[in-house]
Amino acid sequence: MFLYVDPGSGSYLVQLIIAAVLGAGFYFKAGWNYLKSRFGKNKHEDDPNAST
Amino acid sequence: MIPMLQHNILPSSYRDPSGFVFASDGIFYRQVNAVYANDYDLLTNGPLYNELIEKKWLIEHDEVNGVDDPRVYKILKPRQLGFINYPYEWSFSQYRDAALLTLHIQQLAMSRGMSLKDATPFNVVFEGSRPIFIDTLSFEKYDPTKPWVAYRQFCESFLAPLLLSAYQHPDLSRLMSIYPDGIPINICASLLPLSSRFKSLSTLHIHLQAGIKGPANQSTGKPPAFSADKLKRIINHLTNGITNLKLSQKISTWSDYYSKTILQDNYLQEKEFLVSGLIDSIDFSSAVDLGANTGQFALLIEKKGKGVIAIDIDPLCIERLYLYTKENKNRVTALIADLMNPPPAIGWNNKERRSLLQRITADLVLALALVHHLCIAKNLPFEHLAQTISKIGKYLIIEFVPKEDEKVRQLLSHREDIFMDYDIMNFKSAFEVYFDIIESKPVGNSGRTIFLMKKKNS
Repeated sequence: MFLYVDPGSGSYLVQLIIAAVLGAGFYFKAGWNYLKSRFGKNKHEDDPNAST
Repeated sequence: MIPMLQHNILPSSYRDPSGFVFASDGIFYRQVNAVYANDYDLLTNGPLYNELIEKKWLIEHDEVNGVDDPRVYKILKPRQLGFINYPYEWSFSQYRDAALLTLHIQQLAMSRGMSLKDATPFNVVFEGSRPIFIDTLSFEKYDPTKPWVAYRQFCESFLAPLLLSAYQHPDLSRLMSIYPDGIPINICASLLPLSSRFKSLSTLHIHLQAGIKGPANQSTGKPPAFSADKLKRIINHLTNGITNLKLSQKISTWSDYYSKTILQDNYLQEKEFLVSGLIDSIDFSSAVDLGANTGQFALLIEKKGKGVIAIDIDPLCIERLYLYTKENKNRVTALIADLMNPPPAIGWNNKERRSLLQRITADLVLALALVHHLCIAKNLPFEHLAQTISKIGKYLIIEFVPKEDEKVRQLLSHREDIFMDYDIMNFKSAFEVYFDIIESKPVGNSGRTIFLMKKKNS
């Protein structure tokens, strides 16, 4: 298995979050804003489920 | 690591241990290393390869006699491409179609138990109006418990340039020549306007991603399980979002070019008649149209059954030309380039991706309604233009636009006329250093002259 591309740190975490968000049907602006404030710049998050 | 057994390996083909592209006697081959054998068999023995070929999504190949070395599994000879083009030369819709092609391939692959291990626009090339995926070794066995390894690459090298083009300006996709691995997420995020935070495509895949820095070590503890369903949601969201992306409407400077010409009706008809006659008098199989504008003359040549590369600086001209050729599937490959600063050779050693001038060779070069844009507007001496064009092709059809012309007067209206040598006699002598002039004809009453020239000693 030669996954030679660097997936980028955090991209696995991001995909988990996005998949969860899309699955939960978050269509409201409030939802986006909440996510953005929760995962603002320079914060480290290990728990992707905290927001849902 | 597998030693590079061939001498003429493509300078860009070093990243993937599964194999590489090399050239031998002017033919391009792809070596498949033994480590990739299982994935290659899964691709070709299963239905996926045939489906991809049938849909004309993937470039087809033949297997040829291999090397007697246990580290080498197979040697493939893909169908040869006449001309390679790069993402920073594509218009918005071309880029979007390349992105959608990649996503559709990923969706089909997943349904057949495989997945793309990279998602870079350098895996796509435009052949005429059609994008085609060229990296046969990009497929690997799909593991549904893992997220997509190529996701970040897709976001940075497809989504970011598309969003910047749509929200700000189509020229921004040229950033891909500075960031060939993709525009970094945080840079893209900083360049997008506030309105991009109210659309899920940009918010989730760019802004959210920019805001998250993962744990320094990704393998601490057990990673939460992913699933095929989760990945499908992401791919679908990207696909729908990108399908619905649109450029904000702007009026192109040059697409109104012909409508502003004084002797419009007569001029265009006369020019087309002349050019058509000149084309019929020479023997050629491919052409490049420099400063193609609406593509009228590129399309004229294409109708005569020849492949054409149409180049213009205006992204909206190329956009319109591409959309036209897409509808009427044909062999015009429309691309964006500034002839005063054409895409250079980039990458490691400045050799991975060749410059535009290195890639375009054609039997015939068209340079209509172009000379004054370079030699007046950009101060380019005739000699420089003649020399560079002579390296591209054998025949040249070029239009001289005199100083009295309305367009030139427009160009000079706000600046000092320093062009003492800009006249048809100097034009001819500059070009006669490299070309023999076969014919010259005035274009109606426009004052312009069309020349047919042939490179000396060819």
